[in-house]
Amino acid sequence: MRRPGWRVADLRLVLVAVVHVAAWLAIAARLVDVQGLHAEAFAERGLEQRVRHEELAAKRGTIFDRDGVELAVSISAQTMIANPSQLADPVGVAKLLAPLVGVEEATLVERLTREGSQFAYIARRLEREALDNVVALVESLDLEGVYFIDEPKRVYPAGGLASQIIGFVQDDDGVGLEGLEYEFDEVLAGTPGALVVERDPFGNPIPQGQFLVDPAVPGSDLVLTIDREIEFLAQQALTAAVERTGAIAGTVVVLDVQTGEILAIANTPTFDANDRSNLDVDRFRNRAVTDVYEPGSTLKVVTVAAALEEGVVTPSDVFTVPQKLVIHDKSYTDTARTGEEEMTVAEIVARSSNIGTILIQDQLGNDAHHRYLSAFGLGQVASGQFPGEVDGSLQPVGEWCKTTCGPSTAIGYRVDVTPLQMAAVFAAIANDGVWVEPHIVKEVLPGRGAPEPFEPKRRPVLNAETARTMRLLLQGVVERGTGTRAQIAGYTVGGKTGTTEKFVPGEGYSETDRIASFIGMAPLTEPRIVVAVVLDSPQGELEGGVDLRFGGVSAAPVFAEVAEAALHLLGVAPDAG
Amino acid sequence: MTAQPLPRPGDRGLEVIEGRAQTRPRLRPWLLFAVGVIIAFFGLIVSRISLDRSAFVLDDLDEKIAAAESQHWDLRLEVARLQSPDRIAAAAAEMGLVFPESRTVLVAPPVLDEALEPEYRWAQLKALLSAQP
Repeated sequence: MRRPGWRVADLRLVLVAVVHVAAWLAIAARLVDVQGLHAEAFAERGLEQRVRHEELAAKRGTIFDRDGVELAVSISAQTMIANPSQLADPVGVAKLLAPLVGVEEATLVERLTREGSQFAYIARRLEREALDNVVALVESLDLEGVYFIDEPKRVYPAGGLASQIIGFVQDDDGVGLEGLEYEFDEVLAGTPGALVVERDPFGNPIPQGQFLVDPAVPGSDLVLTIDREIEFLAQQALTAAVERTGAIAGTVVVLDVQTGEILAIANTPTFDANDRSNLDVDRFRNRAVTDVYEPGSTLKVVTVAAALEEGVVTPSDVFTVPQKLVIHDKSYTDTARTGEEEMTVAEIVARSSNIGTILIQDQLGNDAHHRYLSAFGLGQVASGQFPGEVDGSLQPVGEWCKTTCGPSTAIGYRVDVTPLQMAAVFAAIANDGVWVEPHIVKEVLPGRGAPEPFEPKRRPVLNAETARTMRLLLQGVVERGTGTRAQIAGYTVGGKTGTTEKFVPGEGYSETDRIASFIGMAPLTEPRIVVAVVLDSPQGELEGGVDLRFGGVSAAPVFAEVAEAALHLLGVAPDAG
Repeated sequence: MTAQPLPRPGDRGLEVIEGRAQTRPRLRPWLLFAVGVIIAFFGLIVSRISLDRSAFVLDDLDEKIAAAESQHWDLRLEVARLQSPDRIAAAAAEMGLVFPESRTVLVAPPVLDEALEPEYRWAQLKALLSAQP
């Protein structure tokens, strides 16, 4: 019997078995390697691929007016992007989408046909209506290479209203650039959150996967003291006045005298914060707080109020007032008078006599005069809530010359003020002598936590009796003096006109241009509002040759228009028959 | 006391069988255990699926909430735009509305104190009602 030997078939079988065993051993070894020796490292790598660390954007706070109407709000919008290399027909897509997204066709063609480009914006921050149309089209045509990403959009629903106050944010990153958007950027911006989430290759969250969320803290909301309707009417009246008088610019400030709340600040020229393309940055300036001017006759109220408060004069005291007064090398005149006149303090105020006021200041003295100018807030920032707000200029009394500094200051020269500072001066007189810090932010509503109302500073400047006397003197200005155009049917009004030669840096005082202003209050029986109107370089004449460069002619009617509308909107009952 | 022998097994009719004991296999507990394991396994799968489904539902709800919030702000924005005095003034001008050229101020007479009393108001109301036909 022949002993069986190794046949070829057996060898093959052995070979296959060896290969199998080797393969299984290799798999086992790899398994041990993957699942055992390096399990932790591989698990970590896997997790790294699935887990994404994402930033949760904080919603920017909303800016409301005093009645809770949105003035600036962030909405979710979608940006349409494309990968041009994935587009089958970039030119065709551009032609199709251009009219729907509001981008010029040529611009879109250029973006989508850029050599080697893999990213292009089609349209940024599409709002709902436009977005719905575009999405429907993209879906119906099954366009490849077109995508949508979330990008919040800041919208200003009131358009050009209070633009200089609210300001705006940078389009790309939503950081405040101007106005309250800039000044309160940290408050409005909030704090971004963080999200750790496991996602599948398509970006969908994996259920039961890792999900850690540190929620974003939304930005605080700002409630302003602005009344949208008063703001609108002030803007309308100012724009009309600037057109009528040919002024370069103008400002209107409306203040609540008791609370110091700014009900409106209008500036011309203005802009629409939603569309800032091709705009002169000059329009972004909130002239009520960034521009200074010499207040002229409106500052006489401080001179007279200080003299009354110090007891150096009474309203009925009589002064012999010449038509012209020369002090040192400077001559002062009353243009509306000829010859010497006996005038009471009340008449000096009503007729805005420069020389009469200088005579009163002479009795008051520089030290006391300066003390009151300072107490009324001149030379200091009025509010501190606006970016770029200036403090004006009030020299220390030690630096005043002994000759013309006092007289010039008495009639509103040598002092630089902002319209807001002057409105606050008149508000103090209207508020029984108590100066209240003017402010625009009424309340901050934090994303988390209790509301934070703003408490304005208050300080007494005059006693109530002096303030009441001043109001009567200011009533005389409107009833029989230089401010008759400021009268309002049904209400008692007090105020003061101001006309100063415009100081042009580097050139000196202009011979033609004037700063015309009127600041007044109403109703006088229980003052509620102060309105300050300042026009830069009004020109021309009314019928009959009345010069529009005077505050009583060009600015006083704007006061009347704005104050009447504001009193009606605030529901203030008429106090005059 | 006297000793007695123990009774012998054989005496009761029982006998010892030599060799391996023939035990009947106890299947039932194992079967029950296996069924239990299978049920637990499927239960685990079902609960896992249910949880996953809930996660999807939650995700869907989150998306709906985000969409609703977005719509809420869109609508508030729309209201603010529609209420904008600028738009209303333009619409009013289009409709031909203008500010009056002259205005008359009417000052209402002061309200009498007695008018605030409920009896007075009741008397007024009664008089009005009695005057009705």
